[in-house]
Amino acid sequence: MTSKFWYLMKQSLNKKIKTKWFLFANIILAFVIVGLLNLDSIISFFGGDFSTDVEIILLDQSKKADEIFKTSLELTKSSLDLDHEIIVENFLKSEKELEKELKENHKVGIVLENSSDHYLKAKIISNKKIDTISYQVIVQALNNTKTQVAIKETGIASQELQKITSNISIERLILDNDAKTEDEAISLIMGTVFPTLILPFFMLVIFLVQMIGTEINEEKSTRSMEIIISNVSPKIHFFSKVLASNIFVLLQGGLLILYSGIGLLIKNSTQVTTNSSITNQFSSIWDSMNQAGITNRLPMIILATLVLMILSFIAYSLIAGILASMTVNMEDFQQIQTPIMMICLLGYYLAIMVGMFDGSILIRVLSYIPFLSCLLGPALLVVGEIGLIDIGVSIILLILLISFMIKYGLKIYKIGILNYSTDKMWKRLYKAARMKE
Amino acid sequence: MLTVKEISKSYGNYLAVDRLSFEVKKGEIFGLLGENGAGKTTTFRMIMGLLEPNSGTITLDGKKIDYSITDQIGFVTEERSLLTKLTVKEQLIYYGILKGMTEETILKRLDEWLEKFGIVEYKNRKIKELSKGNQQKIQFIAGIINQPKLLILDEPFSGLDPINVKMFQEAILELKEKGCSIIFSSHQMEHIELFCEKLVILVKGKVVLSGYLKEIKKEYRKKNILIQGEISIDKLKKIPGVLEVISTAKEYQVKIESEEVVDSVFQAISKNKITKFVVEEASLNEIFIEKVGESYDK
Repeated sequence: MTSKFWYLMKQSLNKKIKTKWFLFANIILAFVIVGLLNLDSIISFFGGDFSTDVEIILLDQSKKADEIFKTSLELTKSSLDLDHEIIVENFLKSEKELEKELKENHKVGIVLENSSDHYLKAKIISNKKIDTISYQVIVQALNNTKTQVAIKETGIASQELQKITSNISIERLILDNDAKTEDEAISLIMGTVFPTLILPFFMLVIFLVQMIGTEINEEKSTRSMEIIISNVSPKIHFFSKVLASNIFVLLQGGLLILYSGIGLLIKNSTQVTTNSSITNQFSSIWDSMNQAGITNRLPMIILATLVLMILSFIAYSLIAGILASMTVNMEDFQQIQTPIMMICLLGYYLAIMVGMFDGSILIRVLSYIPFLSCLLGPALLVVGEIGLIDIGVSIILLILLISFMIKYGLKIYKIGILNYSTDKMWKRLYKAARMKE
Repeated sequence: MLTVKEISKSYGNYLAVDRLSFEVKKGEIFGLLGENGAGKTTTFRMIMGLLEPNSGTITLDGKKIDYSITDQIGFVTEERSLLTKLTVKEQLIYYGILKGMTEETILKRLDEWLEKFGIVEYKNRKIKELSKGNQQKIQFIAGIINQPKLLILDEPFSGLDPINVKMFQEAILELKEKGCSIIFSSHQMEHIELFCEKLVILVKGKVVLSGYLKEIKKEYRKKNILIQGEISIDKLKKIPGVLEVISTAKEYQVKIESEEVVDSVFQAISKNKITKFVVEEASLNEIFIEKVGESYDK
């Protein structure tokens, strides 16, 4: 009987993996993930106006700022890592002549004038729209130029001015390790990194539910179930499906990580010389996590997330299998799939909103509930709203639910797989739960 | 030998099978008859070990049927129980391994049966690409590939043309010769009459008729007289004990209450020009209709 279990499990897994669909879906997934991670390089590769060099014609009517502007522009350009050139040439004729010349080309005209109120004022003239990045560079260079002119004219030392204009220095100390941290870095992580990390989990739950449900539904609707169940017990059949679907999602999860790794490697190798390279982006995320005090809790968060995820996969596969046993056609299967998806979707959105609703009692209570805990638990742990004890409670509740489903769900499964009643799906389920084996 | 003793099964308040008993000896073909919903499928499921009877016992060669001996049973279901996306070879390997067979044995026997049914070329075809008749052949092969001691055939001829029916009949008789006990269920009574030595008729889970087919027919009082020649239907209908006179293109069929009426019928037509006068037992179909009808009337 043990060998039949492994055979059924292998068959189930092969049915999913050794298919053109799996190969095709993974090729697409690999391309999408690698593509999304390298979207900027791909866009640059195909070219466009965004990389066109900008030519500036500078008319310095103040007679004191042209060189300062050029220096400021160079400094701003290099700090922002522009991938195109901004070339400056002086213009010695009148403003009207400048406008006339600008109408005939795509150059940008800058007119610098003296101002009694602001030391220096500027006019930016162009025939067409200027790309956003170049515009920002120009504005920043103009601001720096104005500051330099002001320093010169007022005689204030530049260090003194920097002290006046710089932000206040804040030192952040958190005395209670379990206390919630209000650091802005957390908002950054919850708003950007976290949704990206839990999205694959959401996808895998969908794969899992679909795999186990479709298989059981197919075997039942083709009446093959009677032949299979006459040779192996429903228990063996059920657990072989549960194990196969869980191995499948873990494998698919591993492949998603692999595709992301390949994508990041490609991104890193194409951007090694720039400031936005992947190592810099990671170090920026790491800094944010460090600031938020997450890094020292990271092993605990990863471990808790893994345990919750694996247990939740098992719980999702059990419920999907039990409900699928009551289906007699694909329409029934759609009916049972929808509530499972809705629960998972609810967990996903609530996890994203954790950062927005600090201290929400509802979210905290929901984080204990199986099926939601795998998404909400790690989110609340990241923001420091719950601790290890709360995660422990979620894990215990999940284990209790899994035991309950194995004990009572298996009874429904045994009755369900041979039930072809024409009653409504949920009525069949209710009857099966009440029926004696 | 299969022994079914006093088995009952209910679903909630609904009694699906009520104290059913029968025996199927080695090399015997047994007919399990009944209308839809009579309890045949529940009985098959209990024999296959899929359902546990509420009371009574089922044994095969003295052993209670459980997963340790289901490898020795073959089951051909009424609906096609095939995974249509698989090829014929994949499907047979799948079911064969679940029957505890090795892949080598499965492929050897599969080749033999495909050859016998003349469908060798379909071995690597997907089941969904096959015709209904050929799918039925594959299902039949799946049911017997393990050379079962007990074979359950639920409507095995549905969707088959007469040539394939004949092919199946030969295969079933071959299995019987080899000592396989067969339970046969069909709505086509001529098939039951052709194969079964013994039968049971179920109505709403209860046995309304059981025993050897020959004895059942013998004990059944009503007979039919087949007549060819010139007769007056109205005159025959007036004879006491004549139930019905049916005129067909070939002959007249006179249904009579009992054998005692034969003489009266013969006397009534003896002066006419008659080329055929045969007294025969009622068909199983007539017995079935009467027994099932009687039971519903009660």
